[in-house]
Amino acid sequence: MKKVRLRDICWYRSGDKGDISNIGLMAKNEKIYQIIKRQVTPEKVKAHFKDWVKGEVIIYPMDNLLALEIVMYQALGGGATKTLRIDQTGKAMGNALAWMEVEVPDDFVVPK
Amino acid sequence: MKKVRVGAGSSGWPDYKDSAWDVAEHGDVDYIAFDHLAELTMAILQAQRARDPRRGYIPDVIPLMRGLLPIWKKKDKHFKMVSNGGGANPVRCAEEVFKIVKDLNLGGMKIGIVTGDEIPLSRIDELRAQGYKFKSLDTGEEDIDRIRDKLLCAYVYIGADKIIEALEGGADLVLTGRASDNSLYVGPFMHALGWKYEDAYWDRIGAGVIVGHLLECSSWSAGTCSNLWEEAEYPEGNPGFPIAEMDETGECVITKTATSGGLIRELTLKEHLVYEVHDPHNYIMPDGIADITTIKLEQIGKDRVRISKLGDAPRGKKRPDTLKLCLAYNDGYISEEMMVISGPKVLKMAERITEFIHRRLKHLNLKPREVLIQLIGFNSLQGPTVPVPDPEHEPPELGFRVAFKCDTEAEARECRVECGHLAWAAAGVGTAFTNPPGIRPVYALWPTLIPRDAVPLQLEIKEVK
Repeated sequence: MKKVRLRDICWYRSGDKGDISNIGLMAKNEKIYQIIKRQVTPEKVKAHFKDWVKGEVIIYPMDNLLALEIVMYQALGGGATKTLRIDQTGKAMGNALAWMEVEVPDDFVVPK
Repeated sequence: MKKVRVGAGSSGWPDYKDSAWDVAEHGDVDYIAFDHLAELTMAILQAQRARDPRRGYIPDVIPLMRGLLPIWKKKDKHFKMVSNGGGANPVRCAEEVFKIVKDLNLGGMKIGIVTGDEIPLSRIDELRAQGYKFKSLDTGEEDIDRIRDKLLCAYVYIGADKIIEALEGGADLVLTGRASDNSLYVGPFMHALGWKYEDAYWDRIGAGVIVGHLLECSSWSAGTCSNLWEEAEYPEGNPGFPIAEMDETGECVITKTATSGGLIRELTLKEHLVYEVHDPHNYIMPDGIADITTIKLEQIGKDRVRISKLGDAPRGKKRPDTLKLCLAYNDGYISEEMMVISGPKVLKMAERITEFIHRRLKHLNLKPREVLIQLIGFNSLQGPTVPVPDPEHEPPELGFRVAFKCDTEAEARECRVECGHLAWAAAGVGTAFTNPPGIRPVYALWPTLIPRDAVPLQLEIKEVK
């Protein structure tokens, strides 16, 4: 097995609702979708964001879109209207998640 | 088979006015809808109206309409318009639009004005006296006792009911306050395709809610804010806005004009279907609850993507009995300061400034509620997820931003000047300071639910001959 970063195998877009950050993580193909569905877990996501995500993380798989809907509570420093962060609406939380690594077989080829 | 073409006209304040005009001119649309309101906008608009009763609507509506209405006339007044740009003052907004109609000598026009979304604070007290509780959807707190004295305004995300009624009444333009973004699109679908709030139609309304979601962020479904940003071209500098061709069964093609830039791809739509939906099986909107896992996307041509039903599962469920009520309240002040620091050893220098700021706050006995330090060019957007570079690969310079949240404006200013601005000199050699943005009040939001029947809405259709 070897490791690749999500940024090399997925697309992503993130947004907000109050203090909830949501990330849509879209696999570039079906095989990658099966990998992220298994390996991108709420525990791993929460650990990845350290003290930036203080609440629960829920992940909804969307098989029809080969995507995971990742919902993170207490994740935006209070929410758009209250936060001190520059990224008030969490638009870059997807990019932040995309640093995360997952394991892939040795013969796995990163899609272009 | 009945079909309707509905185009996006705006997704915020501001948005590309010329893109809306392009949809009107070249999109062959029957309806254009305009969303101008973000979560916080109503609180801002209401504060404007409190200072001047002639204000409180989205000012951009006026230049937008000044460009749009001549196209509307040229198209034989064929398309109808739906806008929530009335904000906290739809009545005044309508009066201003009528002035344009007269100025430009456009002939008659009917405007439907929808009100009732704003709940006066006295009414909130009345409802509480009757036993209603406003439990926070964010924190789970049972009621608003803690913030009652700090409340600024309360408004309800309303559905398409009155928009449909206005269109049935012949309105050319429907102006609302806080109609939900989604309902601005669902209203025209339901009116044009004969869908009702009845069991036979929840599946199709679900499809309408999903497509409404794709349209309500305008260019965001058409290549802006996209992972495909390298492929999205804007030869004329004008992003395209999406247009939905919806049939009466809820099947739809999303497209855009050839005269605009951007892209309509499976991916650009998928990006938006995963954006801010939370539980995709229960995307709750005032007109219905959609299940986004029940549809499929298929590229059928350049800038054309079909959205169809994937299996037998219904695309929607009955609309909820409650509506979302948002209470806005004052919650202190935010001040910030930014300097730019130079390497070598920028990360080390940033650590030293951070330490200095905290020591100085203590020294001066300043106690902001929160302090946040972010390094622009390193971790300001991606926080603790960013890998720390080895010293050989540190950025040559960094923006150093410190922000304070305080109870009073005076404290926020003192923190900024004493511990923000005056930190620059202690930072080290090669530091430049910038002009910070003004101190801003925090309008916090308390989202909750209110029964539909506690929110009576009004529609008035006004006509200028």
